[in-house]
Amino acid sequence: MRLIVDGRPIPFEPDDSLLVAMLRNGIHPTGGGCLGPDGDEPHCLTTVDGVSYIRASQIKARPGMIVTTNPIEGYPPLPEDDRQRGAKLVQHHHCDVLVIGQGESGQAEAAAARAADKTVITVDVQNGQEAIGIYPGILVVVRTDDAMLHIHPHEVVVATGAAEILPVCPGNELKGLYTGRMVAQLHGKGFDLGRIVHVGTAPDGVESTAAVGELLRFEPKGVSPVETQNLTSPRSEKTQNLASLPSKKTQNLASLQGDVGAVIMLENGVEVRHECDTVALGLGLIPRNRLYRMGRDWNVRVVGEAARKSDIPPCPKTGTLCPCSSVTVDDMQAVWDRGFHEMELVKRATLAGTGPCQGVACLPHIRAFLQDRGKKLQPPFTARPLARQQTIGEIAAGAYHFSTPRTALDAEHRQLGAQMERISGWWRPWNYGDVAAEYWAVREAVGIGDVSTLGKLIVTGADATEALERVYPTKVATLRPGRSRYVLMLNEAGYIMDDGLISCVSPTHYILSTSSSGVNGFERWLRDWFDTWQLDVRLMNITQTLGAISVSGPFATDLLARAGFEQPLRFMRHREGTVASVNCRVYRLSFTGEIGYELHHPADQSAHLWRELMLLGRDLGIKPFGIEAQSNLRLDKGHIIVGQDTDYDSTPRRVHHEWAVKLEKPYFLGQRAVKRTNKIPLDRQLIGLTMETDGDAPGEGAVILHGDDIAGYVTSTAYSRVLGKAVMLGWAKLVDGALPTDFTINGRPATRTDVPFYDKEGNRARA
Amino acid sequence: MNEFVEAKVDFKWQEPKKTYDVIIIGGGGHGLAAAYFLATRHGITDVAVLERKYIGGGNSGRNTTVIRANYGIPESVRFYKRSVDLYFQLEEETDRWIMHKQKGLVWLAHSEAHVRQEKARAELNTALGAETSYVTPSEIKEICPQIDITGSGQWPVLGGSYHPAGSTARHDRVNWALAEGAMKRGAHIHQRTEVQDLIIENNQIKGVVTNHGKMYANKVLCAVGGHVTSIGDMAGLRLPIRTHPLQAYVTNHYAQSFGPIISSTSLYFYISQTARGEILLGAEIDKQPSYSYRSGYHFLQTCSFRAMTMFPFLRDLRINRQWGGVCDMSADYSPIMSKTEIDGFYITSGWGTWGFKAIPASGESMAALIATDETPDLIAPFSLDRFKRDRTMADRGSAGTH
Repeated sequence: MRLIVDGRPIPFEPDDSLLVAMLRNGIHPTGGGCLGPDGDEPHCLTTVDGVSYIRASQIKARPGMIVTTNPIEGYPPLPEDDRQRGAKLVQHHHCDVLVIGQGESGQAEAAAARAADKTVITVDVQNGQEAIGIYPGILVVVRTDDAMLHIHPHEVVVATGAAEILPVCPGNELKGLYTGRMVAQLHGKGFDLGRIVHVGTAPDGVESTAAVGELLRFEPKGVSPVETQNLTSPRSEKTQNLASLPSKKTQNLASLQGDVGAVIMLENGVEVRHECDTVALGLGLIPRNRLYRMGRDWNVRVVGEAARKSDIPPCPKTGTLCPCSSVTVDDMQAVWDRGFHEMELVKRATLAGTGPCQGVACLPHIRAFLQDRGKKLQPPFTARPLARQQTIGEIAAGAYHFSTPRTALDAEHRQLGAQMERISGWWRPWNYGDVAAEYWAVREAVGIGDVSTLGKLIVTGADATEALERVYPTKVATLRPGRSRYVLMLNEAGYIMDDGLISCVSPTHYILSTSSSGVNGFERWLRDWFDTWQLDVRLMNITQTLGAISVSGPFATDLLARAGFEQPLRFMRHREGTVASVNCRVYRLSFTGEIGYELHHPADQSAHLWRELMLLGRDLGIKPFGIEAQSNLRLDKGHIIVGQDTDYDSTPRRVHHEWAVKLEKPYFLGQRAVKRTNKIPLDRQLIGLTMETDGDAPGEGAVILHGDDIAGYVTSTAYSRVLGKAVMLGWAKLVDGALPTDFTINGRPATRTDVPFYDKEGNRARA
Repeated sequence: MNEFVEAKVDFKWQEPKKTYDVIIIGGGGHGLAAAYFLATRHGITDVAVLERKYIGGGNSGRNTTVIRANYGIPESVRFYKRSVDLYFQLEEETDRWIMHKQKGLVWLAHSEAHVRQEKARAELNTALGAETSYVTPSEIKEICPQIDITGSGQWPVLGGSYHPAGSTARHDRVNWALAEGAMKRGAHIHQRTEVQDLIIENNQIKGVVTNHGKMYANKVLCAVGGHVTSIGDMAGLRLPIRTHPLQAYVTNHYAQSFGPIISSTSLYFYISQTARGEILLGAEIDKQPSYSYRSGYHFLQTCSFRAMTMFPFLRDLRINRQWGGVCDMSADYSPIMSKTEIDGFYITSGWGTWGFKAIPASGESMAALIATDETPDLIAPFSLDRFKRDRTMADRGSAGTH
């Protein structure tokens, strides 16, 4: 069996980890540095099949694997776009107890929980199950080769053991340095490790010679003791830029690569040299408790070695301390000397601990360093996910785009050649290819539009009137059955959140409509308040259940009559009725300025109703109209679109909607604020503007100037076909308490004009 | 060898005194900047900055470091432009490497409605002095070759707005350059010093109570992020602020090759590459108010997914770590830089998701306010009493995610 490392095929044995396979062939993943079997240290990082930062000790060697060792200088390149890699699945699991780590203590915990009749899930990295974080919920996310496991336990036991401390001294980037456990593993795999010297605790079951005393440095093979003294002299001061590095230093680094040849110890004040081929390091243990610390305040326990106190190694004197970010003890000293004493500041100043190993290698040494100087042991860095790194693709498993919904008329629109766009959270027809024709059909004949996206809510219950009285600034109790009214929705600050319609079916039954994008927020808002007030009301969001077709134009009433809805409805009235054999609630209203109806009906009847209307209206000149035409039609009337023409702080007064607010009511949400601010002179208002043009109009966002001063900007704009000039809504500052009349937009004069721009008396809509 | 080890900043910590001319609560960017500008512009150095944890440890060290000025109201553009300009000169002025880099910033539009919005943004921002242009999909592809302009076939890019001044800087370096600049001129910074109460007599601020005892000053600036409403409470001020968490994450290090800052408001994410080569991703604030710094998986999962829609190459990058910060959102989503009803008690707050970019201009202005007790024109519109006076400053189009 072979795999490819840096373009070279290498053989390996079954059950080899990638690291063991590489070591069999004399390849060190990063060219040097102490290796362990558990992937705690950063020296085992490789690029495997295009994914960088893979821990070679943590994956099994597989035939055909393409491995690239990490560059010693610089970082791996950003990968190419790779869509071939399939998405991972997500599996959800529920249990009483999740035990992370199946060493001795983990197994004991699992057994005890099972004995207590609890459902238990166990995971262990040895089985390819990597717990990456403990999140609110409790949710523990575990990565396996096959899936991302989302585990929802009542209790978590962290039994992840302890990591071996890595050496910090000159020469710690040499090859042949292993933790005690790694030496034991390699020995078990039949490696010939040559002469083994151990520092600290001896490796299990492996013959080795003890090097006692204080660890000074490692020396490479084939370098005389005299030469190495030069190499290990304290480093000169650092420079900002790699490019300006003195070449001498680069040489030193280079010559410290290679195989370890000796360990130099300080024993009773004397340097003692231990010749060796392999060094086994038993420098102590630090608990792998990051998961536990992420889950603080929750039902998370830590047991076994993971619960131990961290060993604190002797204060490091020289050498690389953070291999991920290449931070030396000298670097630490340099920032310490300049006042960086807090652990977090030291980390941020050197970037030690911010690399792929997230501080496993450097943390105990930084603590020792800071304790030595500050006489106080500082706590470890904040534990943040991810405890085991994963790719963005793996993390994204199970996520999806919320599909942008389509109305029941979607196919009709497409058939009619509509340009479909995502608007207000729905796919909607932007236009059907000829905006002018759509516009004129509504102005002069009849048009139909799909308004199924409007928010539709039903409020019922004994307290329905009272509840809505408190929500809306309009008078609800005076609204008789069969009537509708335009409404604003205000927040507590008196700012407009949305607008819509309230229709009374009976004093215990109302139908509310909202803007297309506002319904979900409004529903939450209503539920919050209804709950707060403890009123007897029920709320149902029927937006998706009902389709809605807008019929608008001078022939709208005729068209409905042809469709069997014969008794005309007066303006702002509604009633149930049959249109083209479809049971509808028909609302008489107007957004376009013409006679208008909205037909709310079961969504499964939408297509039938739409086709019938198109058919019946053919000789009337009927056309479907899209959002673009509708927006132009409503602008002729000066109707605002909340969100487009309003901002977070638009009060009714700022948008000339005082008429929709009945301040004399006993109470409504935002009343106090509106009453208060109404006493204050206005600073700016949304105004109507007209401009003489040859068929064009300034763009949205165009700046409105008064003289040389910026007065505001345009929020809605169109060339009005019926008026033959550009019409706009926009914000303008008051000057000396009054709105100016004359403005300049894009260097052309514009005049403030009261809205509606068209049919000021509203006769057309009420006809 | 790590070129990013801080090589120059030299902190001179001092023992606390009993009395100062000015006490600044909060050792984040805004507090440190105020101390810096008090010292450098007004010669006021009898100043103590009190920090509950370590300097720059709150949002100033957790944000995603975007600097831009493309706002939609004149007052904001003027203010943030000042900040952008100060950032350009901060490195030279402080002689410290803050890793300031101009990158250009693109906001993507995925629908006709958003195309209109981005065109409007470009028109308005440019007219107000913050150069922004409308760009086509092919121009966006040129600015950022890694983008999948089809949005994986689901979220095609129809256009966008491009703000060339968009920059980033290293947040810690900014904090430290300002802290050191203040300290070496005599200001004190006291870490692990938590303000527990305010001392107010006859409506005049007199000092603060800390975990290390009382400290006195006749001028106190609240430059706290996150728990600003708690400090407001101590002064009897109800602030129009809600605090929401915001999360972000970075990948490991990769060779530099992702130039600009790209943002999609439809897909709720933005992306850039840090000076060290990490890919940095962020999203919107959490809807639910909270002071929590805790990381969530839902954010990580969904933000990753959405970002991959536009940037399929992200799939194989490994995530290094995620974290959270908190954002103080004012009622009109604009900041508050102001005197208060308490004499001698000043506040800079409401920094939402745009606090980092404002640090120098806020510091400069607040220092001038504290030194002269006169509100500089630049920040006069951002006063706390604007909510009472109904002179709010909403700017829906610009209150983005960063």
